[in-house]
Amino acid sequence: MSRSYLFIPGDVPRMLQNLDVFEADAVIIDFEDSVAEHEKDEARNLTRTFLKRHNFDTPSIYVRINSTDVFEHCQKDIQALEDLPIEGIVLPKASLASLKVLEKLLPRPINIIGILETPEVFFEVLTLAKYPWMKGFILGAEDLTKTLNISRTVAGSELLYARSQMIFAAAAASIEAIDTPYTDVKNIPGLITDIQTSKALGATAKASIHPNHVRYINEYFTPSQVEINEAKRIVVMAEKNASMRFSLDGKMIDKPVIERAHNLLEKAKKYGVL
Amino acid sequence: MKSIVVGSLESSDCLITISPHHTLEIVIESPVYQSFGKQIESVIQNILNAFSLTHVKVYCQDKGALDYTIEARLITAIERFKEAENES
Amino acid sequence: MKKYTNLTKLLNDLPLKDGMNLSFHHHLRNGDGVINLVLEQIEILGYKDLLLSPSAIFPSYTGILKLLQQDRVKHITTNYLNGPVANFLAQHGKPSSLKMQTHGGRARAIIESENKIDIAFIAAPCVDHKGRVSGLYGPSACGSLGYAMEDLKHASVKILITDHYVEHLDDSQVKDVDIDAVLVLDSIGDARGIVSGTTTITSDPIGVMIAKNASKLIETLGLIKPGFTFQSGAGGVSLRVTDFLKSYMEKHNIKASYFSGGITKYHVEMLEKGLVEKLYDVQCFDLDAIQSLKRNPQHYAISANDYANPSNPNRVTKGLDIVILGATEVDINFNVNVTTDSYNTIIGGSGGHADTASDAFVSIIVSPLLKARTSVVKEHVNTITTSGKHIDCIVTERGIAINPLRQDLLEKLKHSSLDIVSIETLMERAYSYTGVPESTTYKGKPFGVVEDRDGTTIDTLHKKE
Repeated sequence: MSRSYLFIPGDVPRMLQNLDVFEADAVIIDFEDSVAEHEKDEARNLTRTFLKRHNFDTPSIYVRINSTDVFEHCQKDIQALEDLPIEGIVLPKASLASLKVLEKLLPRPINIIGILETPEVFFEVLTLAKYPWMKGFILGAEDLTKTLNISRTVAGSELLYARSQMIFAAAAASIEAIDTPYTDVKNIPGLITDIQTSKALGATAKASIHPNHVRYINEYFTPSQVEINEAKRIVVMAEKNASMRFSLDGKMIDKPVIERAHNLLEKAKKYGVL
Repeated sequence: MKSIVVGSLESSDCLITISPHHTLEIVIESPVYQSFGKQIESVIQNILNAFSLTHVKVYCQDKGALDYTIEARLITAIERFKEAENES
Repeated sequence: MKKYTNLTKLLNDLPLKDGMNLSFHHHLRNGDGVINLVLEQIEILGYKDLLLSPSAIFPSYTGILKLLQQDRVKHITTNYLNGPVANFLAQHGKPSSLKMQTHGGRARAIIESENKIDIAFIAAPCVDHKGRVSGLYGPSACGSLGYAMEDLKHASVKILITDHYVEHLDDSQVKDVDIDAVLVLDSIGDARGIVSGTTTITSDPIGVMIAKNASKLIETLGLIKPGFTFQSGAGGVSLRVTDFLKSYMEKHNIKASYFSGGITKYHVEMLEKGLVEKLYDVQCFDLDAIQSLKRNPQHYAISANDYANPSNPNRVTKGLDIVILGATEVDINFNVNVTTDSYNTIIGGSGGHADTASDAFVSIIVSPLLKARTSVVKEHVNTITTSGKHIDCIVTERGIAINPLRQDLLEKLKHSSLDIVSIETLMERAYSYTGVPESTTYKGKPFGVVEDRDGTTIDTLHKKE
């Protein structure tokens, strides 16, 4: 139930040792794209020595490993993480095939967040979502748009299909749908538009590549007072109505709506607005 | 055999250079040497002991790295050092 | 007022003697051309036992260094110094060779004849034939001349040095002063060094977090209300706090009464947007501030006396609700050091730190708790610049500490979601990362003092070796 997932490079001490100050609900320590090929071992060792000395209740800590395509790196990443207190791993270029490879490398079940960043994965995304260790998806729009040879726009219509596919599959499997990071770091109005789009389409959270984006993501993904008040009314009405089906302000309320209201209140409670 | 260099001179990091030597030598340069010099030396010494290294020179150019960073940079340097040793 | 075009001729006519007290100001900052020029001649003329009273000393002021190396300076009184002169004093300074004051304290000492200036050499960006002075015009324009005003009023001999001599100036920044002489030169400074390079709002994620915490604190304390008064330094984090306040004020339609101190383009923008009524400017930090001072009647140039002289009941700092300040070190009694680093190197000085912290209703220090392996909070500071009794809040990226003397503030924060902890807890949080530092109590022989704004000695400066 995290709102924000912040990527932190695994090889930069100044960022790593401050991963808990940016108020991200979850942090993803990166071994993949932000670490150069010849520095992968430095990132693994730095993350190991850091997490062995420092424990965190918040934020939740994930590590983005290298994809199973680069098997040796992927294998060493998993070995390096074996005895560390992390919430789970983030798997780039997630696919059913990559999960098969990963299963053999993992000594025991672990939470996985899959990055959807290849065109192929959108044809197996529901099966992937229902994989038992899968806890969420992140849309990887940069790699995806590169493969499709298209540009990203502020309106984001080029991502509509991918975002919706991810959100539908995640919703069907009750896992997190984490929208792609906004990459124009200094453009805060653009970021806010992008967050609003994410939320409107049904994403449950958003990833970010810059700490300064986190507070905007948290703000928009925290239930608003209007949402909270409506949810409260629904829950109160539901308690009075045994039928689980009634109308409120002329709108029909039934079980899924009531469940959503409960979830929203739980989220509001967790983030201190209730 | 050549020296191995790991880390960086960015703030909060350190640059570790390890090279073969007739004895064990540790050289530390640090802006916080007066406050943490002994601590940095003991971190380095402990790692060297764990890897049973006795004939190396470790040169640590510190930029205010915390212990975990010094450890990680040194471990990486030693791993690469040993790999190079096996190859030659 | 006599006009000269040759420094040697001017000096020939002045009552120069051994042991004289010469003053300068630092409004041209690292681009100042006057102090070196004058002191080079003084050096050639062979005077000794000099007392120097520049309002601050920048790295380019090498004329002072040369005289120090020749052992011809008996004492320096200043508010801020770094660079070669600072390093020389920390290594070779003789006992009682340096006194560091506050901006307000310097004005007080000059006015009350505690610091009797024999000759004031005042770099003046623009002068007219009647001796009217302005910092707004000319190739070396610097805006406000706040720190030079008392020198021009109280020195026995008052000299203006300009590179922009005009027929007539409508308005003088220094009123009712009898100038002894004006020296017109080709150049008094290097414009590139005059405008400070420090006035960029921070985008560093940790700096932004600290600023966000500070602005939330100010909001929670209920300090942002119509007519409030505020001062922030020109540091990147302070400016980010100002920026957060701006958003809050816009959202809630609140207008401040005045901002004071060193003025930047960010303050000017808020004046022009109608978010603040007046700017009281003792020093312009950038070109936008200078331009604004020229055209906006609500932007006032004020003197160090108007600004912060503790003996002046109408001083601007006395009316401050909030001041945001930096720190190099803070101890568990809230004493702040901005004068030296932890190893006796002089890196700055009070400037207006102690003045504003003493007067403001709430003084807030913003600083990273951890700068690499150094904790800003420690058991003892190397040098006390501002006494802990005047420091109310320490805001870091890893928590906020409130001075227990301010129970009123703690009461207001009782139910807030801010991470309020004791200062000892802040220190422990830092040490959980850095480890406990070995105590570096070694201090060389004393060579100077830090003076509080009222003239009392607050701490001693020690040599490095």
